[in-house]
Amino acid sequence: MPEDGLKRRAEEVLGRALDRVRVVTDTTQFMELSRGDVLDLQGKRYLITGVAYEGRFGLDEEPKHWVKRALDLADGGQKLIKLVFYEQFDLPIGQFKVRCYRSPRKEARILELVRGRPEFMQGVTFIDAAGNEVRVLDRIPGQSMDRVLDAQRLDHPTYYQTRLKGLLTKFMGCLEAIAFLHAHGERHGDIRRDHIFEHNGHGGWIWIDFDYNFELAESPFGLDLFGLGNVLCYLVGRGIPILQDIKRERPEVLGRLDSGDLSLVIPNRVFNLRKLYPYLPEELNRVLMHFSASAPIFYERVGEMIDDLGPALELLP
Amino acid sequence: MILWNRILVGVDEGEASLGAVRYLAAVLGGSNTSKVRLLAVYQPPDPDLEPDPTALAAQAAERRLALEARLAEAYHILVEARLAQENVSTELVETQGRSIGATIMAEQAAGGYGTVVVGRRGMTKAEEFLFGSVSSNVVHQATDCCVWVVA
Repeated sequence: MPEDGLKRRAEEVLGRALDRVRVVTDTTQFMELSRGDVLDLQGKRYLITGVAYEGRFGLDEEPKHWVKRALDLADGGQKLIKLVFYEQFDLPIGQFKVRCYRSPRKEARILELVRGRPEFMQGVTFIDAAGNEVRVLDRIPGQSMDRVLDAQRLDHPTYYQTRLKGLLTKFMGCLEAIAFLHAHGERHGDIRRDHIFEHNGHGGWIWIDFDYNFELAESPFGLDLFGLGNVLCYLVGRGIPILQDIKRERPEVLGRLDSGDLSLVIPNRVFNLRKLYPYLPEELNRVLMHFSASAPIFYERVGEMIDDLGPALELLP
Repeated sequence: MILWNRILVGVDEGEASLGAVRYLAAVLGGSNTSKVRLLAVYQPPDPDLEPDPTALAAQAAERRLALEARLAEAYHILVEARLAQENVSTELVETQGRSIGATIMAEQAAGGYGTVVVGRRGMTKAEEFLFGSVSSNVVHQATDCCVWVVA
């Protein structure tokens, strides 16, 4: 497309004028890419409209320069473009630090594996002129499920009576999705409640962000299971109860808790939720207790968690 | 055929596995009724984690060298304890996508080892949940053999 035609098309999909457009085929220097640049990836063209921002707790509004917001020049579709950025860092998990690697290759592989599966974000990987694996993701219209839930101000008994069963039914779909990954030898790598998006339209829950990886040969899915336990606790408890909060808000409960009621890995989180909410079915609480300090055995596979959670769901109102 | 006196010893870079070898030396020292295979399991670095092929190859070589050095050290401990050299052998195998524990047990089954010896470093319950444990994996997968876990 000649320069004029490209600029016109870019302005058309953007809906406003641009000072200039620049076609980029090598994305290696991603910090230099900005609004008005058009990425040409194996013949597909995307107009960069801005940078994405971190959604992780405590880091809100930190720009992620390797993730660009973009529009597909073919159909105007909104995309997120993840450029190749390798980093290693120690991820704190409770008292432990785990060496974590950002792996574009892993995410590209998973995108291929989950193509067409609605419980995962969708996208295509292109190789740019410098050999970088650039992932072009469909933007999910919605927000993370914890933001959706946190905005609904319900007391726990009402939440339990009216919402929990529906939410855990959706969570079962998330568990099945992770079991699918594991069955194919892949792990999600960064399971957190804000990595499940709720689609504005159909309300389905969708896993996002698969680029974290770890070297954990003896327990390849241990970190994923840990994350799933935290999400489950968040859902059942309508937020993970923290000891300090209980001390302040429900001091009468504190005396009933002991160390075995707390998370095995992060020992200020209460996992024995039945001591806080006695109406929870024992069967549901038992699933949570697999993640507690008093657990005699742990879940080693997501399938085991699904097998226990399914019957517990039937007992919910 | 599984023979109790064919002994497979898992050796890695950790101190716990050397402790297991020393324990075995103390038990078998001077006796030559057993055949001992010292096994190091090499886990190649994950190409997902290191994009540069040269750096990846260097990491791989470093890991292999460290394991070979540890095998030599373990061999020396057993021979020093007066096990006949012809009864002690070493081997380095690759995980090929399996866990280290599973690789050890695959070697046990293939080689008909009646006894498996591994060290156990003092992991907490939380560490074992998050990161797994070679000795736990070995114990869980063991059938038709005896496992010594030296802590």
